[in-house]
Amino acid sequence: MSIQQTPTPIEPKQLTPKQKPTGFMLFVQKCKEQKVLLLMSLPFLIWLFIFRYVPLYGWTMAFQDFRPARPILEQDWAGWKHFEFLFTDPRFFEVLRNTLAMSFINLVLGFVTAITLAILLNELRNLTFKRVVQTISYMPHFLSWVVAAGLVSYTLSLENGIINIILTNLGIVKEPILWLGIGEYFWGIIGASDVWKNVGWNSIIYLAAITMIDTEQYEAAEIDGASRFQRIWYITIPGMKTVIVILLIMNLGYILESGFEAQYLLMNPMNMDYAENLDIFVLRYGISMGNFSLATAAGIFKTVVSFIFLFSANSIAKRLGEARLF
Amino acid sequence: MNLLKKLTGKRRSVDDLIFDSVNVVLMLLLCVVMLYPMLNTLAVSFNEATDSVRGGIYLWPREFTTYNYAHVFGESQLLHAGMISVLRTVIGTGLSVFCTAMVAYTISRQYFVMRKFVTIAFVLTMYLNGGLIPTYLLMRELSLIGTFWIYIIPGLIGVFNLIVVRSFIEGLPETIFESARIDGAGEFTQFFRIALPLCLPVIATISLFVAVFQWNQWFDVFLYNSSRPELSTLQYELMKILQNSNASMTSRTAADAFASAQGQSQNVVTPTSIRAAMTIIVSVPIICVYPFLQKYFVKGLTLGGVKG
Amino acid sequence: MIKKNLLLLLALSLLLIFAACSNSSDSSTDADSGEDGEVSTEPVSYHVFNATAGRDLDTNTTRIGKLFEEETGVNFNIEYLVGDLNTKVGVMVASGDYPDVIVPDAAIDTLLDAEAFIPLNDLLEEHGQNILDAYSDYLHMFTHDDGNIYYIPFGATVNEYIPNPNIDQGAFWIQRGVLKEYGFPEVNTLTEYFEIIERYAAENPQIDGMNTIPFTGLTYDWRFFAFSNAPNHLAGYPNDGGVMIDMDTHEATVYADSDYAYEYLKTLNEANAKGLVDRELFVANYDEYLAKLSSGRVLGFFDYGWQFGDARNALRDAGNPDREFMALPIVFDGVDYDQYLDPPAFTSNRGMGITTSAENPERIVQFWDNMIKEENQKLIMWGFEDEHYSIAEDGRYFRTDEQLALASKEEERNETGMATFEWSWPRLNGTFSDGNAVEPRRQPEVAFADYSDGDREYLEAYGISTFAELFAQPDDRPWYPVWSANIEQGSPQQIFEERTDELLRRHYARIVLADPADFEKEWEDFVNAYRSLDVDAYENFFTEVVENRLNGEW
Repeated sequence: MSIQQTPTPIEPKQLTPKQKPTGFMLFVQKCKEQKVLLLMSLPFLIWLFIFRYVPLYGWTMAFQDFRPARPILEQDWAGWKHFEFLFTDPRFFEVLRNTLAMSFINLVLGFVTAITLAILLNELRNLTFKRVVQTISYMPHFLSWVVAAGLVSYTLSLENGIINIILTNLGIVKEPILWLGIGEYFWGIIGASDVWKNVGWNSIIYLAAITMIDTEQYEAAEIDGASRFQRIWYITIPGMKTVIVILLIMNLGYILESGFEAQYLLMNPMNMDYAENLDIFVLRYGISMGNFSLATAAGIFKTVVSFIFLFSANSIAKRLGEARLF
Repeated sequence: MNLLKKLTGKRRSVDDLIFDSVNVVLMLLLCVVMLYPMLNTLAVSFNEATDSVRGGIYLWPREFTTYNYAHVFGESQLLHAGMISVLRTVIGTGLSVFCTAMVAYTISRQYFVMRKFVTIAFVLTMYLNGGLIPTYLLMRELSLIGTFWIYIIPGLIGVFNLIVVRSFIEGLPETIFESARIDGAGEFTQFFRIALPLCLPVIATISLFVAVFQWNQWFDVFLYNSSRPELSTLQYELMKILQNSNASMTSRTAADAFASAQGQSQNVVTPTSIRAAMTIIVSVPIICVYPFLQKYFVKGLTLGGVKG
Repeated sequence: MIKKNLLLLLALSLLLIFAACSNSSDSSTDADSGEDGEVSTEPVSYHVFNATAGRDLDTNTTRIGKLFEEETGVNFNIEYLVGDLNTKVGVMVASGDYPDVIVPDAAIDTLLDAEAFIPLNDLLEEHGQNILDAYSDYLHMFTHDDGNIYYIPFGATVNEYIPNPNIDQGAFWIQRGVLKEYGFPEVNTLTEYFEIIERYAAENPQIDGMNTIPFTGLTYDWRFFAFSNAPNHLAGYPNDGGVMIDMDTHEATVYADSDYAYEYLKTLNEANAKGLVDRELFVANYDEYLAKLSSGRVLGFFDYGWQFGDARNALRDAGNPDREFMALPIVFDGVDYDQYLDPPAFTSNRGMGITTSAENPERIVQFWDNMIKEENQKLIMWGFEDEHYSIAEDGRYFRTDEQLALASKEEERNETGMATFEWSWPRLNGTFSDGNAVEPRRQPEVAFADYSDGDREYLEAYGISTFAELFAQPDDRPWYPVWSANIEQGSPQQIFEERTDELLRRHYARIVLADPADFEKEWEDFVNAYRSLDVDAYENFFTEVVENRLNGEW
């Protein structure tokens, strides 16, 4: 798959240039020439503006003591109060640490495992087997986290948990381990659960990328005597690179979204120092108290962080000469 | 060993043999780990609810019953809601995929004047959220509340999907488009006749993403259409049944009221058993439809022909 | 070619516009206004939003609802909450699109703040004499500062108060086999409780091939209060929430870091050192907790009865009455008597209100007024005579085994409408004028008939006729329950409670599981952290609530 972007565009209709227009006139002229492209995208730009940008007026709520009973312009103004509540909470940095740590672990594990699975599936020679494995691999994705967390908790339990049974029978540990009772293990447990639940689903997009690779390349490589690993390294992975980089940049923007349900459901008094993340904090002090202002303030904070990560990642990709988001 | 041979297919060298064997064994292990939760859920869904409270159900029900399903399907609304779900999944997916792909095509064209602007305008919204109440009020202004279109219009284009499709189209050899243009094809033809068919794997992928999203959605029903039972969806009806089975446990303050229902009546369904049945009911259609999409991203595809 | 594309785009845009313009048909009521003073009985349907869980229905599809419709012409289309309450009510209030009637549960403040409810005073005066009579003792509790009544709470106790013969509230529970083994001893103090458990566990390290769990508890998520409320009960106080109210000075004090909590945690810490405490006490989720209880290998735990009904059912189905649990009124040494049983309580900050959207609200009040009549309350609570209950010659109501079975069937309760009307509507508590209990479960005849042979063995052994008789009668506490005080959303009190909850979960676990040598240090840590919150303000708030309530201001 060629990811080279042709630098010299060819206009759909070559008009005989009378004189080279510049600036705004150039823009207008180009718009005229590309009216089909404009028609194909502008209606959706309007849609985007209405459905995604208009509601942003709601951000004013973050600076108000918002009460749903009143129109948004008749609220009491609160200044930075809600941001202050958020940032000065004694637990804020612990919460932020947990959020970043789990998010980072999930990001790295999620990418590596999904890509690996896609490659391994691609290397299977029997097409039926490949399809069956692929189908089975995404099944946990359809379990709600309530069901999935129940299974995770059971798997890790003291007496009946398969993990402890295996470990004690192999003599690796003498006493069964109280996995969910040790805070330090929590991030790992969340990471592993997330991989288990989503790896099959996440690998679909990479499988799609692999199918776009020209099979002739593999045939040529085989004739040249390239080994399996060489073929993976020099053909499959480069073929997926654009998608990987694009997804990576987009996901870096979600760095403060470490998930919510898994943490909430697996959290307990013994591991909560490591489990509570930003979303849980906002749930406790914002949404469940009907405090929409605090929830909005936290949302703004997340957006700011997202943008920082997004633009940094994008410009790094640009500098490295990789595919980029925009 | 024979099976292994069959699964690993014809091989060429010792390295290959080792690689294939290890790979197949790994994949079989993966199947066990990934299949177990579904089988376990299936077993629980067919197990008597009160007995399930005791735990320890693995692959087979201990006290078999179909009551959990009977209870769920006893809800008269369910069939109609299922039809709405199918409708929103089909219409929602079709429209969304088409529109997403079309916009993706425009921003994949390097020479498009608005390319950068449109791309950034879309990308930023991934991380922007005006919040629940302003969004609700907007939908109200647009008179979308209480209509079927609230399921379709607000989520018409998924930005994530948009960017993914764009990068696939960008990956297509530019020469194909060039020769099409020389043959006099306009932008829409290039999109419809070249980009769309050549990107079938990614189109299939995002169709799957959108379809599953639409199929599982219940929050918009809850928020916008909860007083319009004729527009209720399968997931929402199932959530209702689940919530109802939760009734005895939801509220501390109303404890006294619920205790009376509990002290006297034996609970024949529990949230756990309902949830298991729900999971199966919702997943089965997806798993049935899946193979039709799967063929597009599991089989290899040769571009050689069109490259010509 | 371009024309074709344009057409397509045009079609798409039209679709968008069409979608935007297609109006939702309004589902509000279509009632014609009745003549002044006269209330018509022509059919009308109102939309009810109920913020608790239930099964959506039209009330006239139930037998009782049909009767009521015949009498008043009113039908209700009830929609129950499915997702998050604050979200739903938030958008409802922000948009002003109210259903006709709302049962807002915990979101009542938001709706009052939005002035969503209409004042009911005049309507009650004119059409609701039965309601005014039934609630006469309580009217001041839900009349607001502006002199208006905006909603009708549930459960006005009339005539005589009957405590529940079974324990569905807090208690220390013990596996009945333990009591039987040692000849049905009286177990009253925490020390005695742990002694007998320790002894049994030592003699029976395994039950049915599984390791015995001497003591466990419920600590998962918000249910943690079932663990942290225990010291309050051990000290001989009923569940007033996070504070205990002194009977003489009427002062509210928190008990989270009191000597009672210290003693409770110390006992658990020692028990833990002896290996009596479930290692997964602070790890198990709710399902795992229920699974443990129903396995029959748990000897004791503290919990509220309504939280483990499923486990009780599973144990009953298993068919070994000695593995079931019995509630004990455990207190600390030196506490005279327990106060586990709830005093007569009236929850004044929950109710059903009529919104500004409702046309002809008098029709709704008329419906309420009809349903609160004694004969209709009997229908709702007891069902139909000779189907769901029978009347003995002396006028006492009872249920035969068949009637008990029928009246407890979920389908039957849905079909008759008992499940729909028994809560979330104006209703009575206590006894009817003929002396029968309003709620069948509180009628001793019914409770006794519902006991199994296994239950009777224990009742006889302890010389009691209901399990509640082991417990002391509730003292008179006119302020009870303090937790029903109006704590505003996002107020300092609410934030204090949230922070307390976090601290308790984190520290209580550490304190109980600490090496006994570190116990004091962990306790100190907790007290310091806890006292860094504004405890005094919280206590003062509730002291004031008690004071006001004693002065008749609710």
